[in-house]
Amino acid sequence: MDLMLILKAVLTLSALGLITSAVLSTAARRFYVEVDPRVEAVAAILPGSNCGACGNPSCFTVAEGIVEGTLPVNACVAGGQSCADSIAVLMGAEACAVASVVSIRACGGGNKAERAFEYGGVQSCAAVARLAGGSLVCTAGCLGYGDCVEACPFDAIAIDERGLPVIDLDACTGCGICVHNCPRGGVGLLSLVPENAPVAVRCNAHDKIKDRKAACSACCIACKKCERACPADAIHVIDALAVIDYEKCTACGTCVSVCPQNCIDIHGRAATIPPRAADGHGKNAPGFAVQDQAAE
Amino acid sequence: MSTVGQLALLFIGAALINNILLTRFIGLCPFFGVSGNFETSLGMSLAVVFVMTLASTSTWVVWTFLLEPLGVGEFLYIPAFILIIASLVQFVEMYMRKVSPVLYRAMGIYLPLITTNCAVLATATEAAKPGFFKMNIDLGASLGLGEALIYTLGVSVGFGFALISFAALRERLDIAPVPKVMKGNPMAFITAGLLSLAYVGIAGWFGL
Repeated sequence: MDLMLILKAVLTLSALGLITSAVLSTAARRFYVEVDPRVEAVAAILPGSNCGACGNPSCFTVAEGIVEGTLPVNACVAGGQSCADSIAVLMGAEACAVASVVSIRACGGGNKAERAFEYGGVQSCAAVARLAGGSLVCTAGCLGYGDCVEACPFDAIAIDERGLPVIDLDACTGCGICVHNCPRGGVGLLSLVPENAPVAVRCNAHDKIKDRKAACSACCIACKKCERACPADAIHVIDALAVIDYEKCTACGTCVSVCPQNCIDIHGRAATIPPRAADGHGKNAPGFAVQDQAAE
Repeated sequence: MSTVGQLALLFIGAALINNILLTRFIGLCPFFGVSGNFETSLGMSLAVVFVMTLASTSTWVVWTFLLEPLGVGEFLYIPAFILIIASLVQFVEMYMRKVSPVLYRAMGIYLPLITTNCAVLATATEAAKPGFFKMNIDLGASLGLGEALIYTLGVSVGFGFALISFAALRERLDIAPVPKVMKGNPMAFITAGLLSLAYVGIAGWFGL
Protein backbone atom coordinates (compact mmCIF):
# COMPACT_ATOMS: atom_id res chain seq x y z
CA MET A 1 0.00 0.00 0.00
CA ASP A 2 1.43 3.26 -1.14
CA LEU A 3 0.82 5.71 1.67
CA MET A 4 1.91 8.64 -0.45
CA LEU A 5 -0.71 7.86 -3.07
CA ILE A 6 -3.50 7.79 -0.49
CA LEU A 7 -2.26 11.05 0.99
CA LYS A 8 -2.09 12.63 -2.45
CA ALA A 9 -5.62 11.50 -3.32
CA VAL A 10 -7.08 12.76 -0.06
CA LEU A 11 -5.26 16.06 -0.28
CA THR A 12 -6.17 16.61 -3.93
CA LEU A 13 -9.84 15.98 -3.37
CA SER A 14 -10.04 18.04 -0.20
CA ALA A 15 -8.14 20.87 -1.86
CA LEU A 16 -10.52 20.79 -4.82
CA GLY A 17 -13.50 20.70 -2.46
CA LEU A 18 -12.19 23.58 -0.39
CA ILE A 19 -11.43 25.74 -3.40
CA THR A 20 -14.79 25.17 -5.04
CA SER A 21 -16.73 25.69 -1.83
CA ALA A 22 -14.81 28.91 -1.18
CA VAL A 23 -15.57 30.12 -4.68
CA LEU A 24 -19.22 29.15 -4.35
CA SER A 25 -19.76 30.78 -0.98
CA THR A 26 -18.10 33.98 -2.19
CA ALA A 27 -20.23 33.91 -5.29
CA ALA A 28 -23.37 33.27 -3.28
CA ARG A 29 -22.74 36.47 -1.34
CA ARG A 30 -21.39 38.46 -4.26
CA PHE A 31 -24.14 37.58 -6.73
CA TYR A 32 -26.94 37.43 -4.22
CA VAL A 33 -30.23 38.38 -5.82
CA GLU A 34 -32.72 39.75 -3.37
CA VAL A 35 -36.01 37.98 -3.74
CA ASP A 36 -38.98 39.57 -2.08
CA PRO A 37 -40.63 36.87 0.08
CA ARG A 38 -43.98 38.36 -0.90
CA VAL A 39 -43.43 37.13 -4.46
CA GLU A 40 -43.60 33.53 -3.29
CA ALA A 41 -46.66 34.30 -1.17
CA VAL A 42 -48.48 35.99 -4.03
CA ALA A 43 -47.50 33.18 -6.39
CA ALA A 44 -49.02 30.71 -3.94
CA ILE A 45 -52.35 32.55 -4.06
CA LEU A 46 -52.48 32.77 -7.86
CA PRO A 47 -54.07 29.77 -9.61
CA GLY A 48 -50.71 28.63 -10.96
CA SER A 49 -52.12 27.22 -14.17
CA ASN A 50 -50.12 29.72 -16.29
CA CYS A 51 -53.14 30.20 -18.53
CA GLY A 52 -51.95 33.55 -19.88
CA ALA A 53 -55.38 35.19 -19.82
CA CYS A 54 -53.93 38.29 -18.18
CA GLY A 55 -51.39 38.69 -20.98
CA ASN A 56 -48.38 37.68 -18.90
CA PRO A 57 -46.32 34.59 -19.66
CA SER A 58 -46.69 32.89 -16.28
CA CYS A 59 -48.28 33.21 -12.88
CA PHE A 60 -44.85 33.81 -11.39
CA THR A 61 -44.19 36.88 -13.54
CA VAL A 62 -47.59 38.19 -12.47
CA ALA A 63 -46.60 37.68 -8.82
CA GLU A 64 -43.37 39.58 -9.43
CA GLY A 65 -45.27 42.34 -11.19
CA ILE A 66 -47.78 42.66 -8.37
CA VAL A 67 -45.04 42.87 -5.76
CA GLU A 68 -43.04 45.39 -7.80
CA GLY A 69 -46.18 47.41 -8.24
CA THR A 70 -46.20 47.27 -12.04
CA LEU A 71 -49.37 45.17 -12.04
CA PRO A 72 -52.53 45.78 -10.01
CA VAL A 73 -53.56 43.28 -7.33
CA ASN A 74 -56.48 42.25 -9.50
CA ALA A 75 -54.22 41.42 -12.45
CA CYS A 76 -55.21 37.76 -12.42
CA VAL A 77 -58.25 37.26 -14.61
CA ALA A 78 -58.68 33.57 -13.87
CA GLY A 79 -58.38 33.88 -10.08
CA GLY A 80 -61.31 36.26 -9.89
CA GLN A 81 -62.45 38.29 -6.95
CA SER A 82 -61.38 35.95 -4.14
CA CYS A 83 -57.84 35.77 -5.51
CA ALA A 84 -57.64 39.56 -5.84
CA ASP A 85 -58.95 40.02 -2.30
CA SER A 86 -56.36 37.71 -0.73
CA ILE A 87 -53.56 39.40 -2.67
CA ALA A 88 -54.86 42.81 -1.66
CA VAL A 89 -54.75 41.76 2.00
CA LEU A 90 -51.21 40.49 1.56
CA MET A 91 -50.00 43.59 -0.26
CA GLY A 92 -51.83 46.01 2.00
CA ALA A 93 -53.53 47.51 -1.00
CA GLU A 94 -57.17 48.39 -1.23
CA ALA A 95 -59.29 45.62 -2.59
CA CYS A 96 -60.70 46.35 -5.99
CA ALA A 97 -63.31 44.69 -8.12
CA VAL A 98 -62.33 42.28 -10.83
CA ALA A 99 -64.07 42.67 -14.13
CA SER A 100 -64.70 38.97 -14.57
CA VAL A 101 -65.56 37.53 -17.91
CA VAL A 102 -66.76 34.12 -18.90
CA SER A 103 -66.65 32.28 -22.17
CA ILE A 104 -69.81 32.02 -24.26
CA ARG A 105 -70.67 29.89 -27.27
CA ALA A 106 -72.58 31.56 -30.12
CA CYS A 107 -74.02 28.53 -31.83
CA GLY A 108 -77.10 26.42 -31.23
CA GLY A 109 -76.62 24.05 -34.14
CA GLY A 110 -74.83 20.99 -32.90
CA ASN A 111 -76.53 17.86 -34.22
CA LYS A 112 -79.19 20.02 -35.90
CA ALA A 113 -76.69 21.63 -38.27
CA GLU A 114 -76.51 20.19 -41.78
CA ARG A 115 -73.33 18.29 -42.65
CA ALA A 116 -71.51 19.09 -45.87
CA PHE A 117 -69.78 15.70 -45.86
CA GLU A 118 -69.20 12.71 -43.63
CA TYR A 119 -65.99 13.15 -41.72
CA GLY A 120 -64.10 10.16 -40.36
CA GLY A 121 -60.65 11.56 -39.79
CA VAL A 122 -58.84 12.78 -36.71
CA GLN A 123 -61.46 13.78 -34.14
CA SER A 124 -60.37 17.36 -33.73
CA CYS A 125 -61.98 20.67 -34.69
CA ALA A 126 -58.64 22.02 -35.87
CA ALA A 127 -58.20 19.06 -38.23
CA VAL A 128 -61.70 19.14 -39.69
CA ALA A 129 -61.61 22.93 -40.05
CA ARG A 130 -58.59 22.57 -42.33
CA LEU A 131 -60.40 20.06 -44.50
CA ALA A 132 -62.49 22.01 -47.04
CA GLY A 133 -63.45 24.50 -44.35
CA GLY A 134 -65.09 22.04 -41.99
CA SER A 135 -67.74 19.37 -42.20
CA LEU A 136 -70.67 21.73 -41.61
CA VAL A 137 -72.54 23.58 -44.32
CA CYS A 138 -72.61 26.54 -41.94
CA THR A 139 -69.27 28.34 -42.01
CA ALA A 140 -69.68 29.81 -38.53
CA GLY A 141 -71.15 26.94 -36.53
CA CYS A 142 -69.62 24.74 -33.88
CA LEU A 143 -67.80 21.73 -35.35
CA GLY A 144 -68.35 19.80 -32.14
CA TYR A 145 -65.13 17.79 -31.85
CA GLY A 146 -64.31 19.40 -28.56
CA ASP A 147 -60.97 21.17 -29.03
CA CYS A 148 -62.22 23.62 -26.42
CA VAL A 149 -62.91 20.75 -24.01
CA GLU A 150 -59.34 19.52 -24.44
CA ALA A 151 -57.90 23.00 -24.14
CA CYS A 152 -59.74 24.15 -21.02
CA PRO A 153 -57.30 24.08 -18.09
CA PHE A 154 -60.17 24.28 -15.61
CA ASP A 155 -62.30 21.40 -16.98
CA ALA A 156 -65.17 23.81 -17.42
CA ILE A 157 -66.37 22.62 -20.84
CA ALA A 158 -68.19 19.44 -21.80
CA ILE A 159 -69.93 18.35 -25.00
CA ASP A 160 -73.59 17.66 -24.24
CA GLU A 161 -76.09 15.40 -26.01
CA ARG A 162 -76.87 18.15 -28.54
CA GLY A 163 -73.28 17.92 -29.75
CA LEU A 164 -72.45 21.36 -28.41
CA PRO A 165 -69.88 22.41 -25.84
CA VAL A 166 -71.53 23.63 -22.66
CA ILE A 167 -69.53 25.93 -20.45
CA ASP A 168 -69.83 25.36 -16.73
CA LEU A 169 -69.99 28.91 -15.46
CA ASP A 170 -68.95 27.79 -11.99
CA ALA A 171 -65.66 26.54 -13.30
CA CYS A 172 -65.10 29.03 -16.14
CA THR A 173 -62.56 31.67 -15.23
CA GLY A 174 -62.65 33.62 -18.47
CA CYS A 175 -59.05 32.79 -19.33
CA GLY A 176 -59.97 32.66 -23.02
CA ILE A 177 -57.88 29.60 -23.87
CA CYS A 178 -60.91 27.93 -25.45
CA VAL A 179 -61.39 30.99 -27.66
CA HIS A 180 -57.80 30.74 -28.88
CA ASN A 181 -58.03 27.01 -29.45
CA CYS A 182 -61.33 27.10 -31.30
CA PRO A 183 -60.64 27.21 -35.07
CA ARG A 184 -63.71 29.42 -35.33
CA GLY A 185 -63.02 31.39 -32.16
CA GLY A 186 -61.58 34.17 -34.27
CA VAL A 187 -64.90 34.69 -36.06
CA GLY A 188 -66.86 34.81 -32.82
CA LEU A 189 -68.06 31.26 -32.22
CA LEU A 190 -66.57 31.41 -28.75
CA SER A 191 -66.09 34.77 -27.13
CA LEU A 192 -65.65 36.33 -23.73
CA VAL A 193 -68.58 38.25 -22.26
CA PRO A 194 -69.04 39.98 -18.91
CA GLU A 195 -69.66 37.47 -16.16
CA ASN A 196 -73.11 38.84 -15.50
CA ALA A 197 -74.19 38.86 -19.14
CA PRO A 198 -77.69 37.41 -18.75
CA VAL A 199 -78.71 36.35 -22.24
CA ALA A 200 -76.85 34.88 -25.15
CA VAL A 201 -77.51 34.75 -28.89
CA ARG A 202 -76.73 31.21 -29.96
CA CYS A 203 -75.88 31.99 -33.54
CA ASN A 204 -72.91 33.52 -35.23
CA ALA A 205 -73.78 33.27 -38.92
CA HIS A 206 -73.31 36.27 -41.17
CA ASP A 207 -74.20 34.79 -44.54
CA LYS A 208 -77.52 35.15 -46.38
CA ILE A 209 -80.62 34.19 -44.40
CA LYS A 210 -81.65 31.68 -47.08
CA ASP A 211 -78.28 29.91 -47.04
CA ARG A 212 -78.25 30.02 -43.29
CA LYS A 213 -81.66 28.39 -42.96
CA ALA A 214 -80.62 25.64 -45.35
CA ALA A 215 -77.54 24.97 -43.27
CA CYS A 216 -79.09 24.83 -39.82
CA SER A 217 -82.51 24.80 -38.25
CA ALA A 218 -81.43 26.64 -35.12
CA CYS A 219 -79.99 29.80 -36.64
CA CYS A 220 -80.87 33.44 -36.10
CA ILE A 221 -83.17 34.40 -38.99
CA ALA A 222 -82.85 38.15 -38.35
CA CYS A 223 -86.63 38.53 -37.95
CA LYS A 224 -86.06 41.51 -35.60
CA LYS A 225 -88.74 40.34 -33.19
CA CYS A 226 -86.28 40.60 -30.31
CA GLU A 227 -85.17 44.05 -31.43
CA ARG A 228 -88.77 45.27 -31.38
CA ALA A 229 -89.66 43.48 -28.16
CA CYS A 230 -86.68 44.60 -26.09
CA PRO A 231 -87.84 47.25 -23.61
CA ALA A 232 -84.30 48.42 -22.92
CA ASP A 233 -83.23 48.86 -26.58
CA ALA A 234 -80.40 46.40 -25.91
CA ILE A 235 -80.76 44.16 -28.95
CA HIS A 236 -80.07 45.22 -32.49
CA VAL A 237 -79.91 43.15 -35.61
CA ILE A 238 -76.56 44.01 -37.12
CA ASP A 239 -75.43 42.30 -40.35
CA ALA A 240 -78.51 40.07 -40.18
CA LEU A 241 -77.64 38.81 -36.70
CA ALA A 242 -79.09 39.75 -33.33
CA VAL A 243 -76.43 41.39 -31.15
CA ILE A 244 -76.95 42.14 -27.47
CA ASP A 245 -75.55 45.23 -25.81
CA TYR A 246 -74.73 43.97 -22.32
CA GLU A 247 -74.40 47.53 -21.04
CA LYS A 248 -78.10 48.06 -21.60
CA CYS A 249 -79.50 44.56 -21.06
CA THR A 250 -81.63 44.31 -17.95
CA ALA A 251 -82.10 40.56 -18.06
CA CYS A 252 -85.86 40.85 -18.41
CA GLY A 253 -85.93 37.80 -20.65
CA THR A 254 -88.38 39.23 -23.20
CA CYS A 255 -86.13 38.41 -26.15
CA VAL A 256 -85.84 34.83 -24.94
CA SER A 257 -89.59 34.37 -25.04
CA VAL A 258 -90.21 36.07 -28.40
CA CYS A 259 -87.44 34.40 -30.40
CA PRO A 260 -89.17 32.02 -32.85
CA GLN A 261 -85.96 30.07 -33.40
CA ASN A 262 -85.20 29.60 -29.69
CA CYS A 263 -81.83 30.93 -30.52
CA ILE A 264 -81.62 33.43 -27.69
CA ASP A 265 -81.45 31.88 -24.27
CA ILE A 266 -80.61 32.69 -20.74
CA HIS A 267 -76.90 32.13 -20.48
CA GLY A 268 -76.61 28.52 -19.42
CA ARG A 269 -80.35 27.87 -19.50
CA ALA A 270 -80.20 24.72 -21.55
CA ALA A 271 -77.01 23.57 -19.92
CA THR A 272 -76.85 20.07 -18.54
CA ILE A 273 -74.54 21.46 -15.92
CA PRO A 274 -76.48 23.66 -13.47
CA PRO A 275 -75.84 27.36 -14.07
CA ARG A 276 -74.14 29.55 -11.56
CA ALA A 277 -77.08 30.46 -9.37
CA ALA A 278 -75.46 33.09 -7.19
CA ASP A 279 -74.30 35.10 -10.17
CA GLY A 280 -77.72 35.25 -11.72
CA HIS A 281 -77.19 32.92 -14.62
CA GLY A 282 -80.16 30.72 -15.36
CA LYS A 283 -83.74 31.85 -15.36
CA ASN A 284 -84.59 30.41 -11.93
CA ALA A 285 -81.51 31.78 -10.25
CA PRO A 286 -82.13 33.87 -7.17
CA GLY A 287 -79.55 36.42 -8.27
CA PHE A 288 -81.65 37.31 -11.27
CA ALA A 289 -83.84 39.79 -9.46
CA VAL A 290 -80.86 41.29 -7.67
CA GLN A 291 -79.29 41.90 -11.00
CA ASP A 292 -82.38 43.71 -12.22
CA GLN A 293 -82.06 46.13 -9.38
CA ALA A 294 -78.39 46.58 -9.99
CA ALA A 295 -79.06 47.41 -13.62
CA GLU A 296 -81.61 49.99 -12.67
CA MET B 1 -5.61 14.82 -35.42
CA SER B 2 -4.58 18.26 -36.37
CA THR B 3 -5.86 19.42 -39.71
CA VAL B 4 -9.19 21.15 -40.20
CA GLY B 5 -10.55 18.15 -42.08
CA GLN B 6 -9.80 15.83 -39.21
CA LEU B 7 -11.44 18.24 -36.76
CA ALA B 8 -14.54 18.34 -38.95
CA LEU B 9 -14.55 14.54 -39.00
CA LEU B 10 -14.24 14.52 -35.23
CA PHE B 11 -17.20 16.88 -34.97
CA ILE B 12 -19.43 14.87 -37.28
CA GLY B 13 -18.34 11.61 -35.73
CA ALA B 14 -19.27 12.87 -32.28
CA ALA B 15 -22.50 14.56 -33.36
CA LEU B 16 -24.10 12.07 -35.73
CA ILE B 17 -22.33 8.74 -36.03
CA ASN B 18 -21.76 8.35 -32.32
CA ASN B 19 -24.76 10.40 -31.24
CA ILE B 20 -24.68 10.26 -27.50
CA LEU B 21 -28.46 9.90 -27.11
CA LEU B 22 -29.43 7.56 -29.89
CA THR B 23 -26.41 5.32 -30.35
CA ARG B 24 -24.73 5.45 -26.93
CA PHE B 25 -27.99 5.79 -24.91
CA ILE B 26 -26.46 8.18 -22.40
CA GLY B 27 -28.57 11.06 -21.07
CA LEU B 28 -31.94 9.49 -21.78
CA CYS B 29 -33.66 11.20 -18.84
CA PRO B 30 -33.78 14.68 -20.42
CA PHE B 31 -34.39 12.97 -23.77
CA PHE B 32 -37.77 11.79 -22.51
CA GLY B 33 -38.31 14.36 -19.79
CA VAL B 34 -38.25 17.59 -21.77
CA SER B 35 -39.03 16.39 -25.28
CA GLY B 36 -42.79 16.86 -24.92
CA ASN B 37 -42.56 20.46 -25.98
CA PHE B 38 -40.50 22.00 -28.78
CA GLU B 39 -39.71 25.21 -26.89
CA THR B 40 -38.43 23.51 -23.75
CA SER B 41 -36.31 21.11 -25.78
CA LEU B 42 -34.72 24.09 -27.51
CA GLY B 43 -33.87 25.72 -24.17
CA MET B 44 -32.57 22.42 -22.85
CA SER B 45 -30.37 21.88 -25.90
CA LEU B 46 -28.82 25.33 -25.55
CA ALA B 47 -28.17 24.67 -21.87
CA VAL B 48 -26.56 21.32 -22.70
CA VAL B 49 -24.25 22.84 -25.32
CA PHE B 50 -23.26 25.51 -22.83
CA VAL B 51 -22.76 23.25 -19.82
CA MET B 52 -20.94 20.50 -21.72
CA THR B 53 -18.47 22.92 -23.24
CA LEU B 54 -17.83 24.49 -19.87
CA ALA B 55 -17.57 21.14 -18.12
CA SER B 56 -15.18 19.66 -20.68
CA THR B 57 -12.88 22.66 -20.53
CA SER B 58 -12.68 22.52 -16.75
CA THR B 59 -12.23 18.76 -16.50
CA TRP B 60 -9.59 18.87 -19.22
CA VAL B 61 -7.66 21.52 -17.29
CA VAL B 62 -7.99 19.69 -13.99
CA TRP B 63 -7.03 16.37 -15.53
CA THR B 64 -4.02 17.69 -17.43
CA PHE B 65 -2.59 19.95 -14.77
CA LEU B 66 -3.67 18.31 -11.52
CA LEU B 67 -4.86 14.73 -11.58
CA GLU B 68 -2.52 13.29 -14.21
CA PRO B 69 0.72 14.84 -12.88
CA LEU B 70 -0.13 13.64 -9.37
CA GLY B 71 -0.93 10.17 -10.65
CA VAL B 72 -4.26 9.98 -8.81
CA GLY B 73 -6.53 10.47 -11.82
CA GLU B 74 -7.20 6.82 -12.58
CA PHE B 75 -9.35 6.32 -9.49
CA LEU B 76 -10.18 9.88 -8.51
CA TYR B 77 -11.59 11.17 -11.76
CA ILE B 78 -15.28 10.58 -11.04
CA PRO B 79 -15.57 12.38 -7.66
CA ALA B 80 -13.21 15.12 -8.80
CA PHE B 81 -15.09 15.75 -12.06
CA ILE B 82 -18.50 15.67 -10.37
CA LEU B 83 -17.26 18.16 -7.82
CA ILE B 84 -15.88 20.49 -10.46
CA ILE B 85 -18.80 20.31 -12.86
CA ALA B 86 -21.44 20.69 -10.13
CA SER B 87 -19.84 23.70 -8.51
CA LEU B 88 -19.05 25.31 -11.86
CA VAL B 89 -22.65 25.00 -13.01
CA GLN B 90 -23.85 26.36 -9.67
CA PHE B 91 -21.48 29.28 -10.04
CA VAL B 92 -22.61 30.02 -13.59
CA GLU B 93 -26.23 29.85 -12.50
CA MET B 94 -25.67 32.39 -9.74
CA TYR B 95 -23.68 34.64 -12.04
CA MET B 96 -26.27 34.45 -14.78
CA ARG B 97 -29.11 35.18 -12.39
CA LYS B 98 -27.35 38.33 -11.22
CA VAL B 99 -26.00 39.61 -14.52
CA SER B 100 -28.58 38.60 -17.10
CA PRO B 101 -32.06 37.76 -15.81
CA VAL B 102 -33.29 37.39 -19.39
CA LEU B 103 -30.73 34.73 -20.23
CA TYR B 104 -31.45 33.12 -16.87
CA ARG B 105 -35.14 32.82 -17.74
CA ALA B 106 -34.38 31.31 -21.12
CA MET B 107 -31.68 28.85 -20.08
CA GLY B 108 -31.01 29.09 -16.36
CA ILE B 109 -33.92 26.96 -15.24
CA TYR B 110 -32.45 24.00 -17.11
CA LEU B 111 -28.99 24.37 -15.61
CA PRO B 112 -29.65 22.61 -12.27
CA LEU B 113 -31.42 19.83 -14.15
CA ILE B 114 -28.29 18.85 -16.03
CA THR B 115 -25.67 19.81 -13.45
CA THR B 116 -24.07 16.41 -13.46
CA ASN B 117 -26.23 14.72 -15.98
CA CYS B 118 -24.71 11.44 -17.15
CA ALA B 119 -24.23 12.77 -20.66
CA VAL B 120 -22.35 15.80 -19.35
CA LEU B 121 -20.15 13.70 -17.09
CA ALA B 122 -19.46 11.13 -19.80
CA THR B 123 -18.51 13.75 -22.37
CA ALA B 124 -16.40 15.78 -19.98
CA THR B 125 -14.56 12.67 -18.84
CA GLU B 126 -14.05 11.45 -22.37
CA ALA B 127 -12.74 14.83 -23.45
CA ALA B 128 -10.30 14.97 -20.54
CA LYS B 129 -9.14 11.39 -20.81
CA PRO B 130 -10.29 9.36 -23.83
CA GLY B 131 -11.19 5.77 -23.18
CA PHE B 132 -12.80 5.93 -19.75
CA PHE B 133 -16.27 5.66 -21.21
CA LYS B 134 -16.99 3.26 -24.03
CA MET B 135 -18.00 5.98 -26.44
CA ASN B 136 -17.06 3.92 -29.50
CA ILE B 137 -15.08 6.76 -30.97
CA ASP B 138 -11.34 6.46 -31.35
CA LEU B 139 -9.93 9.62 -29.87
CA GLY B 140 -6.36 8.41 -29.51
CA ALA B 141 -4.47 8.46 -26.23
CA SER B 142 -5.21 12.04 -25.31
CA LEU B 143 -6.73 15.19 -26.76
CA GLY B 144 -5.48 18.74 -26.97
CA LEU B 145 -7.73 21.40 -25.50
CA GLY B 146 -8.94 22.46 -28.97
CA GLU B 147 -9.74 18.91 -29.97
CA ALA B 148 -11.50 18.31 -26.68
CA LEU B 149 -13.63 21.38 -27.29
CA ILE B 150 -14.52 20.35 -30.85
CA TYR B 151 -15.38 16.88 -29.60
CA THR B 152 -17.60 18.28 -26.84
CA LEU B 153 -19.30 20.69 -29.22
CA GLY B 154 -19.98 17.77 -31.55
CA VAL B 155 -21.49 15.65 -28.80
CA SER B 156 -23.64 18.46 -27.43
CA VAL B 157 -24.84 19.59 -30.85
CA GLY B 158 -25.70 15.97 -31.59
CA PHE B 159 -27.55 15.81 -28.29
CA GLY B 160 -29.48 18.97 -29.09
CA PHE B 161 -30.24 17.85 -32.64
CA ALA B 162 -31.61 14.50 -31.49
CA LEU B 163 -33.59 16.09 -28.65
CA ILE B 164 -35.16 18.80 -30.83
CA SER B 165 -36.03 16.44 -33.68
CA PHE B 166 -37.56 14.02 -31.17
CA ALA B 167 -39.59 16.84 -29.59
CA ALA B 168 -40.86 17.86 -33.03
CA LEU B 169 -41.90 14.23 -33.67
CA ARG B 170 -43.66 14.00 -30.33
CA GLU B 171 -45.59 17.20 -30.89
CA ARG B 172 -46.93 15.75 -34.14
CA LEU B 173 -47.66 12.42 -32.48
CA ASP B 174 -49.85 14.23 -29.96
CA ILE B 175 -52.45 14.97 -32.62
CA ALA B 176 -51.97 11.77 -34.59
CA PRO B 177 -54.62 9.02 -34.27
CA VAL B 178 -52.52 6.78 -32.03
CA PRO B 179 -54.35 3.83 -30.41
CA LYS B 180 -55.40 4.78 -26.91
CA VAL B 181 -53.22 2.23 -25.11
CA MET B 182 -50.18 3.52 -26.98
CA LYS B 183 -50.75 7.22 -26.40
CA GLY B 184 -48.09 9.23 -24.63
CA ASN B 185 -44.96 7.49 -23.40
CA PRO B 186 -45.36 4.08 -25.10
CA MET B 187 -45.52 5.78 -28.49
CA ALA B 188 -42.57 7.98 -27.52
CA PHE B 189 -40.49 4.91 -26.66
CA ILE B 190 -41.27 3.25 -29.99
CA THR B 191 -40.47 6.45 -31.86
CA ALA B 192 -37.21 6.78 -29.97
CA GLY B 193 -36.34 3.22 -30.97
CA LEU B 194 -36.99 3.93 -34.65
CA LEU B 195 -35.04 7.17 -34.45
CA SER B 196 -32.19 5.26 -32.84
CA LEU B 197 -32.23 2.71 -35.68
CA ALA B 198 -31.85 5.57 -38.14
CA TYR B 199 -28.86 6.96 -36.29
CA VAL B 200 -27.21 3.57 -35.94
CA GLY B 201 -27.76 3.27 -39.67
CA ILE B 202 -25.57 6.30 -40.30
CA ALA B 203 -22.63 4.34 -38.92
CA GLY B 204 -23.42 1.68 -41.52
CA TRP B 205 -22.87 4.15 -44.39
CA PHE B 206 -19.25 4.44 -43.38
CA GLY B 207 -18.82 0.75 -42.77
CA LEU B 208 -18.00 1.30 -39.14
